[in-house]
Amino acid sequence: MIPRPSGRADEDCIIVAHDIKFAYEGGIEALKGVNLRITRGEFIAIVGGNGSGKTTLAKNLNGLLRPTSGSVDIAGRHASKLTVAEIARFVGYAFQNPDHQLFSGTVEEEVRFGPKNLGATDAEVARQAEHAISLMGLGEFRAAQPLSLPLGVRRKVSIASVIAMNPQVILLDEPTTGLDAGEIVDLMGCIRALNEEGHTLILITHDMRLVAQLAKRVLVMASGRIVLDSDREGAFADLEILRSSKLEPPPVTLLAHRLSEYGIPRDVATPEQLVDCIVPARGGRR
Amino acid sequence: MTGFVDLYTESNTFLHRMDPRVKILAVLFLSVLALMIGNLEYLLILLVAILLMLVLGRATLAKTYFAMKLVLRVMILIVVLWPFFNPVGSPVLFEYWIIKITEPGIVTGIEVAVRIACLASVWYILMFTTTQRDLVRALVKLGLRFDYGLTLSISLRFLPTFGSMVDSIRDAQRARGMEFDRGSLVRRSKNYVAVLVPTVVSALRTADTISLALQSRAYGARKDRTYLRALRMRPTDYVALTIAVLAVALPAVAKYVLQIEL
Repeated sequence: MIPRPSGRADEDCIIVAHDIKFAYEGGIEALKGVNLRITRGEFIAIVGGNGSGKTTLAKNLNGLLRPTSGSVDIAGRHASKLTVAEIARFVGYAFQNPDHQLFSGTVEEEVRFGPKNLGATDAEVARQAEHAISLMGLGEFRAAQPLSLPLGVRRKVSIASVIAMNPQVILLDEPTTGLDAGEIVDLMGCIRALNEEGHTLILITHDMRLVAQLAKRVLVMASGRIVLDSDREGAFADLEILRSSKLEPPPVTLLAHRLSEYGIPRDVATPEQLVDCIVPARGGRR
Repeated sequence: MTGFVDLYTESNTFLHRMDPRVKILAVLFLSVLALMIGNLEYLLILLVAILLMLVLGRATLAKTYFAMKLVLRVMILIVVLWPFFNPVGSPVLFEYWIIKITEPGIVTGIEVAVRIACLASVWYILMFTTTQRDLVRALVKLGLRFDYGLTLSISLRFLPTFGSMVDSIRDAQRARGMEFDRGSLVRRSKNYVAVLVPTVVSALRTADTISLALQSRAYGARKDRTYLRALRMRPTDYVALTIAVLAVALPAVAKYVLQIEL
């Protein structure tokens, strides 16, 4: 499926960022030294307020932007020696606005565009496209024109078109913007399935409820730095860091914080966890 | 689209303060003048005068260079190619097979190049010293329908937005393994479809939103428009207009009435 990196001790490390800094033209320093190790199969959420550097970091991880200093290793190779198209084999990136990506006459063609670019054989293209379509539940829209579909479906098509390239890592930039609750639940199911299949997922968002439901590891960013890198529970326990990074934890977490003097732990992220804490009969939490 | 530069340079020179209507007319007159003069020396004098005005309008060197780069290329092309295609008069300087080069041919080439430089740089004066808003307002005052004026100013306003949108679309397709500078011609032109279609669709969606926003702010509710800022001619504007008119009228009289060769 994905070529194994050679000549490295820790084979499970798919992305390593060494002290990367990035400044846009005009001198705005968007990343001020970021260190990061991402291993296969992780589910990471990069959270932070607008302008905190989330998207800039993500674009540095797939070569669309190149760090002004520091370096990125992807699958054991220096990213600076790879083109964006070569990196696309390892790191797929679904943009926030699906309309910036969709152009084909049918959903099927759209999904085939990526693997074709990577030089896959016709049989491989067909198989990978089919897999992506079924994983995102797009079977019924196969022959539809992508641009005429509702936003929720368009976003799924844009994610499917990335999955079809079968990258080990999938970056999703604000995948829930503009979706209704039903569409979000639907999309979350698809994203979870991807992670269970073995893909490494990196979710860029400031929707903390999404993070609570999905992520296993949380990176909190503020003004170009990672200010917190911990498991999900650790991140939800630290209300101060979240608030100072312009993030609002879900109400259930706030409730748990209020109830902490009654022995409820502060790191509750979902309603299920709170129930487990309150009702001892259910056998403790987690 | 990247590298789009708004030519307007903020300052407070007499050219900035001048009524935009006068500026548009003056630039038109000077263009006519450049077309009327057929003598290299006079054309050079005109070019120097125009460049002087650019300097007085506080055009920065970087922007002038950006603006004149294209003009310079065209000028060089004309100077080099003109003698080959227009070998008139004598003395003949060089002749071989079908190639013939004459002195008047070379001189005419230089004249045409300088004339084009005049025509281009005179419009740069307008672009350097007038905001887009003033430009559109003046055009409307000079008789352009307000609808068209508004369309023009919205288009100008959205150029940079559009540019960053195209960048984002290119990035999105590159992340899908598309390479712009590789592959056969057919492959490359197919790749451009992948940028063109999202660009057009996003632009249409934006246009739709803008028209709704305009309507919800009661655009077109009254037939007779009033304006927040009225353009008013000041004495200096009349002086400038008179000078501009004379600058074109005197040579015109000399050339066409008194039959003096210019």
